[in-house]
Amino acid sequence: MAFPPMQPAADADQARQHTYHDGTSRTVQVSEREIPYPEGRLIISRTDLNGVLTHANDAFIELSGYTREELIGQPHAILRHPDMPRAAFKDLWDTMKAGKKWHGYVKNLRKDGSHYWVYATAVPNIRNGQTVGYTSVRRKPSRKKIEELSAVYKEWKAAEGST
Amino acid sequence: MTLNLLIAPDFAPERFAGWHMLNTVLQKRSGLQLHLLTPASAAEQAQLIAEGKVDAVYANPFDAASMIRDAGYQAIARPVGKSDEMVIATAAGSAANTVEDLQPGCKIALTDNKDVKLIGLRLLEPADLTEADIQWQMVDTYQAAARMAIKGEVDASFFLAEAYHSLSKLTKSQLKALMESKLADITHVLLTSAKVGADAERVKEALVGLTGTPDGQPVLDELGIAGGFEPMTQEDAEFMIDLMDTLLD
Repeated sequence: MAFPPMQPAADADQARQHTYHDGTSRTVQVSEREIPYPEGRLIISRTDLNGVLTHANDAFIELSGYTREELIGQPHAILRHPDMPRAAFKDLWDTMKAGKKWHGYVKNLRKDGSHYWVYATAVPNIRNGQTVGYTSVRRKPSRKKIEELSAVYKEWKAAEGST
Repeated sequence: MTLNLLIAPDFAPERFAGWHMLNTVLQKRSGLQLHLLTPASAAEQAQLIAEGKVDAVYANPFDAASMIRDAGYQAIARPVGKSDEMVIATAAGSAANTVEDLQPGCKIALTDNKDVKLIGLRLLEPADLTEADIQWQMVDTYQAAARMAIKGEVDASFFLAEAYHSLSKLTKSQLKALMESKLADITHVLLTSAKVGADAERVKEALVGLTGTPDGQPVLDELGIAGGFEPMTQEDAEFMIDLMDTLLD
């Protein structure tokens, strides 16, 4: 996978290596800075069957730090934060490929290396009995859940043997 | 043949005349006979639909979803720049300043509007509140919901945003909004039943053509839909239904 370049802020001083499911890898610059979820809004995106972004609403664009032109046509994994375990996304894709709805807490990476947490729900787009893509809608997560899931994901990452 | 056009009962009372004006102008422009139905409650709406008396519906988003997927209705148009939003408000003097300040066991007043309740529940998730954690107080009107919050009889009330903003200045001065949604992509939808057939296109053309015209724009202004209506494709409707599916739980 190839992505448009990040634009790390001054505090994004940790270089982290990602390896994606297709075996390609990317170095990302991350900071510890969390951006608050925008009150009252939904972050909405759609992808094709391969996880390539075909639609992003204004909240999605604003929070990601990328422009719409930079995002559309890119793999959704452009937002993947190195603290997120592969197992969480495997569960997402396995669930959706089975035609079911998926819920989960996700830490997303912004273009500037900071992050934001979401509670995401993803559904397959079924038209005339065929899955033609996927819609994902994110809501504001509770702080308690973020803390619980941060600990869980840390354990999963350790079990995956990556940093 | 006369087509029955039903307007979902969640519009603000001051819009009532506007819907009648719309019915008149749509008849004139489409050449069709339209009979306006304005049920007083969601239950009355459901009964009229179940009896097969409804040919076209200006439906709230969640009803529209089930009518399209389960009852064969077709989405033909939606309002431009008028999304369905909700407000969670408490008394102006309440100690709560955000939804996260609401605690399990809190009392919330709400009307019989399932869209408002569903979106409200999603907006309470950051406070770790689920439907079972709340003592719900059902009321008949948004004015009653406002009064209960102002008197401190409930910790908060749910409002359709348009209804909240239509409250009197005095009432609003005694309330504090803890949260106002900005969902943007969820709107009411004009649906037609399968039996309307080719006339659906005439209704759509009449409705979409109102914007900026001498007889149409004043009606749209009266309805608070100054941007008018835009045509909706089947895929637009499916997209909104997928979106709402994600909000059900």
